[in-house]
Amino acid sequence: MNSRVTQRLVQAAFVASIALLWHFATASGRVAPLLLPPMPAVGHELSALAADADFWPDLRTTLFELVMAFLLAAAAGTAAGYAVSRTRYAVRTFEPLMAGMYAVPAILLFPLYVLFFGLGPGSKIAIGATIAFFPVALSTVTGLSGVNRLYLTAARSMGASSGQTFRLVMLPAALPAILAGLRIGANAAFMAILGAETIASFAGLGHRIVSMAESMDTAKMFANIVLAMSVAAMINIAVSAAEKRGWKHEQA
Amino acid sequence: MSRPEPAVARLAVIALLLGIWEVAARAFGNPLFICPPSRVVASFAALFRDADVVEAVYYTSFEILVAFVIAVVIGFALGLAVGLHRFTRGAMYPVILLLYAMPQVTILPLFVVVFGIGAVSKIAFGVSHGVFPMIMTVAAGAQSIEPILLRSARSMGANRMQVLRYVVFPHLVPSFFAGMRLAMTAVLLGVLVAELYVSQAGVGRFTSAFTQTFQPANLFALIGVLAALAITLNELCRRAELRFSRWCAG
Amino acid sequence: MTPAAPAIRVQNVSQTYGAAGDPRRVVALGGASLEIARGEMVCLVGPSGCGKSTLLNLIGGLATPESGNIWIDGEPVRGPQPQKVAFVFQESALFPWRTIQENVELGMEFQGVPVSERASRARESLATAGLSAFASHYPRQLSGGMKQRAQLARALALRTGILLMDEPFAALDEQTRMVFGEELSLLLANAGKTIVLVTHSLTEAVFLADRVAVFSARPGRIKQIVSVDEEHPRRQSFMTSPKLAQLRNELYDLLHDEIRSTMNLPVAEPGQ
Repeated sequence: MNSRVTQRLVQAAFVASIALLWHFATASGRVAPLLLPPMPAVGHELSALAADADFWPDLRTTLFELVMAFLLAAAAGTAAGYAVSRTRYAVRTFEPLMAGMYAVPAILLFPLYVLFFGLGPGSKIAIGATIAFFPVALSTVTGLSGVNRLYLTAARSMGASSGQTFRLVMLPAALPAILAGLRIGANAAFMAILGAETIASFAGLGHRIVSMAESMDTAKMFANIVLAMSVAAMINIAVSAAEKRGWKHEQA
Repeated sequence: MSRPEPAVARLAVIALLLGIWEVAARAFGNPLFICPPSRVVASFAALFRDADVVEAVYYTSFEILVAFVIAVVIGFALGLAVGLHRFTRGAMYPVILLLYAMPQVTILPLFVVVFGIGAVSKIAFGVSHGVFPMIMTVAAGAQSIEPILLRSARSMGANRMQVLRYVVFPHLVPSFFAGMRLAMTAVLLGVLVAELYVSQAGVGRFTSAFTQTFQPANLFALIGVLAALAITLNELCRRAELRFSRWCAG
Repeated sequence: MTPAAPAIRVQNVSQTYGAAGDPRRVVALGGASLEIARGEMVCLVGPSGCGKSTLLNLIGGLATPESGNIWIDGEPVRGPQPQKVAFVFQESALFPWRTIQENVELGMEFQGVPVSERASRARESLATAGLSAFASHYPRQLSGGMKQRAQLARALALRTGILLMDEPFAALDEQTRMVFGEELSLLLANAGKTIVLVTHSLTEAVFLADRVAVFSARPGRIKQIVSVDEEHPRRQSFMTSPKLAQLRNELYDLLHDEIRSTMNLPVAEPGQ
């Protein structure tokens, strides 16, 4: 496969050609400005975002929902994963169950959450937590039950208590896997929340995109889409960096 | 006391959870928001006597299957292009990675603006989700063909088409089915999310209606059916994969 | 004068893996007996699967024998005894998320050494093993031989009377093993510890040990014990001496038939 540099160059070339196509499509008048607004208009809307009265509250709402959903999923997922990993029997019984449930699009539960929690942040937090729960729980099970037996034997031979064995051997050994699960969960939660805000909400980044679409203000809609994608990318970078810190002994 | 088989234990746990749900919903649940599983089961029959609901489920299944077929075909073709030729790989793979990384849920309203509120936007969104895992899997499979196999076929006088037919395609069978399985999961997500967003003739219309009119039993029942549909389709793909990959070692 | 009580006493120990009726059930040890004096170094050799590692684990209290008894310093063994017994394992049992020095300190933390003493004892132990320069390195950054030295440093820092080593050099190449053997002999000569070392290498066994216990094939028993009468620390000249070669040949003869029987090959007729 190409090196990262060539990959980045190709991607940049792609983006540039899209931009060129876009410019020609809008400048020549071939595409209706309602469908595809001219680039300068989108650029203008992007810079106007910060001044938009609703923008900061919407951003705060989405981020608040994300943090709450993630904390819930992290707590429940690691606890459930820990409980299941304790015996091989539990792993054999519950792990396929969790993996199977993961395959069904959990977003289907969202209408139920809306029915129960309403259109506010509650339903978004609930769906975000539900969707993020599975990767966290599954990776916790894999991480804890996959600890090399030799580490546990060595610790026992040196007199480690079960508390010491868990705290000082099992947790550090399982940490890379658990952190990977938390990263996947955080990203999944954000996608779920954006989706939920798109489907049924009166606030948040997803909702902004929908309301711009409904009022046919496509320039603003594009601007908000770019914004939402940028936030997603930043979240991904942040959680990936956090995950890497747990691996630092591997990169020494 | 010997432990029950894991399968039995799983069923027991599910039964236990259903039991707790039943008791809790009856005791504390506000019937506007929540209902016990017994009421859900009871409303099944009435719900599916409603021709409109049944038609909506068929319509959505149709959207899923069409999106699936298109995603598999396009994904397979692009996957081959990426996996077999260094030039196309270099030109296309970075672009595919870039597009794959985009959170597609943000452009769902855009899809609807462009394709309308009918089946086309659902199918398009489904294809948009399903095509990526197919491309990645097929490309990886195509890349893993040992060059010696291709060379020995050519040295025996095989032309392009023959090499494809007798060396490449058989090798790609496991990747094809694995990609299909992943594509199905992704297509399901895409189509169902689009349906929940806006729907004219599909199930989304009813999920909205049941939510807004506080009919938890009907909503549960409908979601249950959709979940069963998803599980069945995923399982079919999984079994197909197992059957056709039997010749693979390990 | 009554002779000193043996540091380790194994009496008629048997161990079986697998439940009754399980087709994979195997009798690992079938009545092994052995006495090891304080400060002695004994190597266990034998064909694969003869129970050498099993016996080591039983001595260290990591498992309980099905039948028979084991005493350490006159006390019956009922579980791991971190104050008396330290292990060095076959593969790297160093914790990869900690530096070498932290690994040594962690061992002491498990054993119950007060915090204030851990750092200095760790440094001392690493110096003995020649790893002072690598104290802040992670196991991943070390070669196989250095990792085993680090494990040995961790075991030595525990200041136990007994050291049990389970094929510690199995992952190293032949040449490194030979050089290591000399280093190890030097290191352990003055330590005064009782050492039991399991190895597949007959050369290593003769070079290092006071006595070599030869196991029979499964179910394992101790077939014979060969004495190596040579002063410690063993010198390089001993490695290439005729005495070592003769003892090694003696071990080979003892093992030959045992190994053939594990490979299901017919045992040679006497006189062949």
